[in-house]
Amino acid sequence: MGVTIVQHYPMTENRTGPQVIEFLTKRVHAMGAAQAGPFLVDCETYNSAPAFGPPRTVHLLNNSEQPATVFSILESGQKQVPLVSDPLFMDLMKKLGSVYTCKQQTRMEAKGPRFEVADFLVKLGTVTMNANFKGVLVEVEYRPCLVPAACWELLREFMQGFLGTCVPNQPPSYLQNRMQDIYQPLDTIQQYLDQFREYRKAVTVR
Amino acid sequence: MMSVEPLQTALSCIRTLRSNVGVAFEALGNGIRSDHGEEGKETKFLFELQDLLTVVNNNLRDVEQSINNLQPPHNPFNLGNSGFLSHEYAQDRQALYSQLVQSYKWTDKVHEYCSLAHAQLSQNSLTRSYTNTSSAKRRKIQTSSHNVLPIHVDKVINQIERLLPEMNVNIQRPFASNVILHVSVGRVLKAIIAFKGLLIEWIIVRGFSESLDLWTESRFKVFRKVTENAHAAVMRFYMPTMPDVSVKNFLTWLHSFNTLFSDACKGCGLHLRNAMPPTWREFRTLEPYHEECKP
Ligand SMILES: [Zn+2]
Repeated sequence: MGVTIVQHYPMTENRTGPQVIEFLTKRVHAMGAAQAGPFLVDCETYNSAPAFGPPRTVHLLNNSEQPATVFSILESGQKQVPLVSDPLFMDLMKKLGSVYTCKQQTRMEAKGPRFEVADFLVKLGTVTMNANFKGVLVEVEYRPCLVPAACWELLREFMQGFLGTCVPNQPPSYLQNRMQDIYQPLDTIQQYLDQFREYRKAVTVR
Repeated sequence: MMSVEPLQTALSCIRTLRSNVGVAFEALGNGIRSDHGEEGKETKFLFELQDLLTVVNNNLRDVEQSINNLQPPHNPFNLGNSGFLSHEYAQDRQALYSQLVQSYKWTDKVHEYCSLAHAQLSQNSLTRSYTNTSSAKRRKIQTSSHNVLPIHVDKVINQIERLLPEMNVNIQRPFASNVILHVSVGRVLKAIIAFKGLLIEWIIVRGFSESLDLWTESRFKVFRKVTENAHAAVMRFYMPTMPDVSVKNFLTWLHSFNTLFSDACKGCGLHLRNAMPPTWREFRTLEPYHEECKP
């Protein structure tokens, strides 16, 4: 897959979520985009029972772009262990109900339309937590390029072009140490997880 | 050549005639049937027969008419040895004749297309191979770029590779003599180049994550554009007398796409135009330009 940036789009007082999505859809269309189906990224978080030593958290994420894969990230203190597996892993987690319990009210989801603009893939995601609207995430993938360092400037120009000043001049912090590596699907998942954490912290819409 | 259509019509008329004669004789053979009822069954039967014979008569007239439309060939067909095929009595070999006709039509078409293509190509000023069409006066063997020893080709390519740090080259000879070159430039692109001696015949540029084959275009717009430009570059760098220099210049040009995604356009100063990076490189300076910005 190509290098991908997941960007938070700040909400303003006078606009609702659907209005923002509609506004951005118009902008994407103005660049000659063709709609290419919907997308969905979701995240469920499991916590370990207190009886089993220091607390651990497991995030389970699905991305409609890789439908045959489940991504999980185990957090234990400062350490993070990612795991890429097939969907059976979801069933396994449910079997571990006595050790890990899922907090339904923190279930996060980003979904919305997906567009193709030349070799770019643009996704406009409405973020909800337990079905409550939390904000808007924009994902941009430049499919031909595999190395973030090679195309960050190009991606930044593209994103600032239709998202404006909310796009920083530096790449997302997660990518900053990995600019020379070949980009993996897990890198997108990590960016979504970082964003979802921010939405969970936020009291209102972001 | 004789037109086939009247012949087809005549044949189909004969088929109809045969079929209807069959029907008439069958009705006659069956005699009076129960559906003729009891009252006046003989008369009904005769009427039916008469109808059928009228149809046969009409068909016969059609056959005669269609035969009159046929023009007899001026001279007898000379089928050569294939004439003996009609004497074949083994069941499984009787189909040979139609297959023979099919392949004859094929070769005929190929011949026709070839002569059209030849007429087209001989007008093309971009021809890069020497073709001596005038066999009357044989000239001396010319220095040609497509007739080079394999060792020499390997040497030239390996020398060029050493000059280009980001280029990785893999020489393959799937058909014994001519080179198919697998090239990768940084972690940006891959290319497959077909050589004839030291003459570049064909090139496809694809993404670094894509697999290489000679006939499939990249699924990315940007590499399809670079492929198109590479074809132009092959023409531009072609030097009939110094084939190794032209290969070197071309590969150096291709090597400059190492910065395909990171270079901004020299014309407008931006990375993107119509959501595409600068896919053009100036032939001499190797400066990057957008398709729309090139000087
Ligand atoms: Zn330009």
